Order: sequence, then C-alpha cells, then structure tokens
Amino acid sequence: MTNEMPVPDPAPGAMAPPRARRVVLPPYRQRAARPRSVRAREWVRQNLIPSPAGVLLTIVTFVALASLLAIVAWFTFSYANWRVVTDNRWLLFAGGFPHDQEWRLWVGLGFVFLLVGASYGMWSSLGRRDVLFMVPAAAFGVFMLAHGGAALWSTLWFAGAVALLVAAYGVCRLVPREHGPARTLAVRVLSAVLVLSVPIVFLVLMAGGGADSDELSGYLLNLLLAPAGIVGGIFVGIPLAVGRASKLRAISWTCTFYIETVRGAPLIGWLFVALFILGDIMGGDLIVRTMVVLAVFTGAYMAEYIRGGLQALPRGQYEAGHAVGLPYWRTLQLIILPQALRISIPPIVGQAISLWKDTALISIILPLRELIGSSRSAIAQGEFITNRIEVYVFAAVMFWIVSFVMSRVSQRIERSLGVGER
Amino acid sequence: MAQQAMRAPGPQPASARVPLLYQRRARRWFVELVYVALTALAVAYVVAALGNREYGFGFLPQPAAFDIGNQWLVDFDGTTSSRLTMYLVGVWSTIRVVAVAIALATVLGVVVGVARLSQNWLVSKSAMLFVETFRNTPLYVQAVIWYAILLFGLPGIDQVVNVGDSFLLSNRGVAIPWPDTRVGLWGGPAWIALAWVVAITVGAAVALRLRNIRQHQERETGDFRYPNRVALVTFGSIAAGSYLLLGMPVGIDRPFVDGTTYANGMSVFPEFAALALALTVYTGSYIAEIVRASIQALPTGQTEAAKAVGLSGYQRLTLVILPQALRQMIPSVTNQYLSANKNSSIALGVSYFDLFFVASIISNKIGHAVEVFFMIIVTYMILSLIISALMNILNARVTLHQV
Repeated sequence: MTNEMPVPDPAPGAMAPPRARRVVLPPYRQRAARPRSVRAREWVRQNLIPSPAGVLLTIVTFVALASLLAIVAWFTFSYANWRVVTDNRWLLFAGGFPHDQEWRLWVGLGFVFLLVGASYGMWSSLGRRDVLFMVPAAAFGVFMLAHGGAALWSTLWFAGAVALLVAAYGVCRLVPREHGPARTLAVRVLSAVLVLSVPIVFLVLMAGGGADSDELSGYLLNLLLAPAGIVGGIFVGIPLAVGRASKLRAISWTCTFYIETVRGAPLIGWLFVALFILGDIMGGDLIVRTMVVLAVFTGAYMAEYIRGGLQALPRGQYEAGHAVGLPYWRTLQLIILPQALRISIPPIVGQAISLWKDTALISIILPLRELIGSSRSAIAQGEFITNRIEVYVFAAVMFWIVSFVMSRVSQRIERSLGVGER
Repeated sequence: MAQQAMRAPGPQPASARVPLLYQRRARRWFVELVYVALTALAVAYVVAALGNREYGFGFLPQPAAFDIGNQWLVDFDGTTSSRLTMYLVGVWSTIRVVAVAIALATVLGVVVGVARLSQNWLVSKSAMLFVETFRNTPLYVQAVIWYAILLFGLPGIDQVVNVGDSFLLSNRGVAIPWPDTRVGLWGGPAWIALAWVVAITVGAAVALRLRNIRQHQERETGDFRYPNRVALVTFGSIAAGSYLLLGMPVGIDRPFVDGTTYANGMSVFPEFAALALALTVYTGSYIAEIVRASIQALPTGQTEAAKAVGLSGYQRLTLVILPQALRQMIPSVTNQYLSANKNSSIALGVSYFDLFFVASIISNKIGHAVEVFFMIIVTYMILSLIISALMNILNARVTLHQV
C-alpha cells in the first residue's frame, strides 16, 4: 500500500503535484518531460515485460491470479449463502448480550471511537488514505450492527459515535504540537484514559444491571479480551524485562524462569491452566482468569522485546543517569525506559497483533464463545449446517481487518518516532 | 577480626564509615531477601491452593480406554494401550505434522520472499497479497477453513477421483503410491529392505563427499570437474546397483478403495492435511517476510558486483544473494520454527490427535490437570530444544564458511 509505483527517472517538472519525498536528480540524469502515455508504456515494459522469460512469468502469474479471483468471486457471489452471517449478526457480534441493554454497546463504541479520534488528533493526523479506509469500514459497521427493525436507531447511534470521533479529533488537534506544559498534560490525561479504557468499557457494559460476565460473547469478547491482554502484558512485561536485566541474581533468575516457562508452552496450554488449575488459585470468573492468562502469557513475550530494547541502549545512558545523581528507579523511568520502549515498539505491536489473532483460540477449549465459538453456534442451527465455510471466512475477514489496521498503525508509529534512526 | 588485621593503615574504606542501610551491598542483600521472601510466600500460597488435589503419575500406565485416529507407522490399541502410549502416539503426531510444515514452509517462504522483491510488478504484488492475507488472519481460522474445504468441497469416497489408479482424492483424504517392502528376487527376509536403505544412505554420503572434492578441485585449478553430474551418477549407480543386487526388496504399493477407506499406499487424512496446510501457509508467510528483510539488508553492492561479473538473474539469486541472506536469517527462522511447533497445538480444532489433544482427553477423563499440564509443557520444551539444537548445528556449519 505504501509502495509508490516505481517510476523510472522521474522528471520533477512533469509530476504534478510535486511530492516532497521525491529525490531531485542532478541535471545530467534528468530527462525532458514525457507524455503520460509514454511513461505508462515505459512502466509496463520495465515492470511486466522485461524479457521473454519475464513475459512468461507475467502470463503465468496473471493466469493464476485470475483463476484465483474467479474462484473467490464464484464463492462470494454464487456459492456462498451469506444469510448465515446476516441472519446471525447479533449472535456473531454480541453473542448472548441482552437485547434490552443494547445502548451499553453503543455507549462503549462511542467511547472507543472518542479515544481513536483523540489519539489520531494528538499523535497523528488524518490523511486521505485513513478517510478512504474509514468510510467503507463505517458503512460496513452500520450494516452489520443494524439488526431487526432497529436499523434507523443503530444508524443514528453509529453516526453519534462517528461524530464523537470527529469532535475528539478536532479538539485534540487544538493541542499544540510542540512540547510544552499544555501538551504534556493532555498526553498524560489521554494516556491514562487509554490505559484505563478496558476497565471503563467493562464498567459501561456490566455495571448496574448490565450484561453478566457469561453474556459477553461474540466478536465483542475478542475486542474486550485482546486489549486487556495487551495492556496487561505491557504492565507485566516491563518489570519482567527490567528484572531479567537486574544485577540481583534472585530477581534475574526468577524472571528468566518465568519468561522461559511461559514461552515454553503454547497459549492453548495456558488456557488449559485457566480452565482447570487457575480457578483453585485465584477463583474469579472464567473471563477474568482468561484475561489474567492472556496478560501473563503476552507479558513474557513483551518482556523479551523490551529486554531487546534495554540491551540496545549503550551503557553510557545508565552511567549518565548515575552521574547526574539520579537513583536507579528515576534513571529507569526518565532515561532508560523511554528509549528502550521506543526501540521495542515494532515487536510489541507485532506481539499485540499476534495476541489479537490468538483470541480465536479461546473457544477451542474454554466454554467462552468468542467470534469462533459464536460461529460454531451459528452453524449448529439446522438451517445453516452446510454453511460453515461462509461463517469462518467472515470470521477470518473480521480478524484480518483489525490485524491489518494494527500493522499499518505500527508502521506509522515507527515512521513518526524514527525508530530505525535513533 | 581477621579482615581488620589484614587492613593496611591509612584512610578507612568508605564502607566502614557509611551506615549499613546506605551501603550498596547491604541494600542489595536486603532487597534480595525481601524479594525471595515474597516469592516464597507466593509459591507457598499457590502450593497451598493446589494442595487438596491428588497427585502422582500413577494414571499413566493404566489402560487408556479411548481411541484416536489418523495414525501412521505406529501400532497401538485404543482400549488396552496405556495412557502413556497414547500420549506418545500424540507426540509422534505432533512431530510428524511439525516436520512436514516446517519443511514446506521454508520452501514456500523463500519462494514468496524472493517473489516479493521481484522486478515484475504482478509477481511482487501477488506475493504481497499472499503475505498480507495469511499473516493477518488467525492460524486456527485458516485451519478450520482448510478443513471445511477438504471435508465438504471434495467428493465422497463413493465418487473418489481416481488419477491413473495411483492418486485417489476424496473427502477421506489423498492416497498416493508408497514404497513397501516385498519378498525380493531371491526370496530374502524383510530386513533386506533395511539393508538397501543403508546402501542408499552410504551412497548419498559418498556422492556428497565426491561433490565436495570435485568442487574444491574446480576452485583450485579452474578446470571443469562437473561435481554435480559426477555426484548424481555416483548416487544413482550405487542406489540402482544395490537395489538389483539385493533382489529388488522394495516395491511401490498403489492405493485402492476398500469399502469406505483407503487401503495400501499412503493416505494423507484431511485432518492432517488441513493442519499441515494451515501451518505451512501461515509460517511460510512469516518466513517470506524474514527472507525479504534479510535480502533487503544485504548491501546493494552485492547485486551490482554480481551483475558486473556477468551473472544471470537466477545465478545472482542462487550464487550471491541467497547464500548470504539465508545465513543471516537463521535465528529469525528458528524462532518461526519454534512458533510452528507450539502453534501445532491448534490440532484440537481440526480433530487431529496431536499431543495436546490426547493430553486433554486424558485430563477430561481422569483429571490430574496439573500433571497433564506439566507433561505438555515439558514435551513442548523438549521439542523446542531439539529444533533449537538442530538449527544451532546448522548455524555453526554455515557460519564456518563465512569469509
């Protein structure tokens, strides 16, 4: 997506509008402006038919791609019975969530959209690509969430959530971009709300006569469990990483033992622990236990990535902190961790994506019905017993959307923080 | 006392004057003591919380009383075999699927990773489509979709697709011809086949050694010594010669449909195929990104130098770029292999009886969750250690050649 078409020997004058990124070639390599048709022909020659063997490769790839597309189109428009998805929208998205408490879902969605808008406004800016992506996503959301006769209401609620996003974006754009007391305060407030967002959403959904914990299911449950595991994982991972790098041997040994043990078994094994063993140790709902396991599991991986960041820092950083008289904890907080975390952002986001995909594993052995479990219930209805491919393809697309957005956000953070550059 | 006596006269060291609480070493001991005490408390709490269970591995040698399917090369009986045997059968299933997936994923990953950097726009975009699709969807969902396609997309066994009486395809899986021992020309015993396997192995070793020697000579003298051709001919003649000499002890068995199952040949069951396919494609898409990154990390001078000495595109790739890039990516690829090993535990979702599935059946039947989990984690760790050890050996070998 980010790759521009490679244009041979760009002539700066010919490109309208001129991009800042484009390298201006020295005059002896510049060519006179050529008409668009010539450039197109040149592009085709260079990229599709460079040599006889290249032509063959192009043809083979084209035929393979075309037949694949044909199969996909046949499946989507002819074979598939999408009623299994559209009829079960509520089941797939909200599972057993009580219908009369629907407003809680919308308030939660509005809150999340508010945070998204605020984060965009604070740390980034909306580009044309973002808007182009968001409009179809929003339309799709309205379509899927509008159930029964309440389509109008759903659309209005959704429009309200989008309005909150836009408003939050606009307000946060007002915060000055340069570092200063105003920005520091705003960033701190927003970060605190972001960290607390998972419990807040749980409160919105469950407090005061809302849903019971066993009524949280469907895609909603994936969307609740993954952030809980990610945020919890970072908070477990940072002390583990610092502990593993500690000079105190008891601490570094136990942290190493913890990390290696957790990484030794697959997540599904730890979910087995949540089901059969953890109940005796901490009690609590299965959902809470699952969140604890997700955080504990992700934390071990996060710790390794953060440790990589810690090790990448030159010793001089610690010594400098020492030299200006900072105690160990303040050195960590003010000098070491900000830099180490910046270095380890790409793998941390990678782990977050991985955890997001792993939430699909939950209903393999746990009696929690997230999207895959709900899909299974959808197929179990006699009417749709032959439509399992459709439901699972739909689930795959739902997982894909969030993973894809996360990977793009990660690339954007990398670019804006200049991670590779230091 | 002894220390004080040893000390030379002069200014006292800092530690003598500083109060105990402000001494670095004392503080460390203090922190460590507190930490150990807290950890011990936590461990004691966990032990106490789990204390009212029955423990012991006595359940392992008892008869299993459950059956598991789609196995290969193992002999067991669901009702009388012990639970330990069943568990080991599950371990063997995991090893099988992981080995197949790792091998195929490596090939797929290298091909797609190279295609991703192709000059050809269509090829590189197709590779990107592949990677973005399979990296961003859960492995489990992929496996379930493959499984559904294999079960419901293929014809039933009564309408089996028969390709030349050798390849059979239906929703019971694929059956292919497979080598089998048979009574040879001179009516030798069955272990004669084993002798032939040994002969092939020796032949391969000899051929490889010959190839190395000839390659070395080629480099030293600059004459053509045809290392590949000589090695191939050597291997071929040893294999064929010993085959004839031992009386053709191995034949090819063709599969056929026997009622509702396949007989003879080798059958690949849909459960295995779905899991192996999903693991291959998923791991392959990750390996493709690693391959791409390590090729891009090479200095462009390598490609330019290869062009300058007149190597073709294919030669540039196989002689200059890939040998260097592959060496660099071994650690990352090892990580992917380890993930593939652990990811194979989704087998439960496609009814493939891997070690986790068998273990969870055992635990469902008789409890003992803590012991069963201990077995699971130890087995995965052992498998991971084996993979790491093999990859370390490979790594040591290829870095030896580094100039």
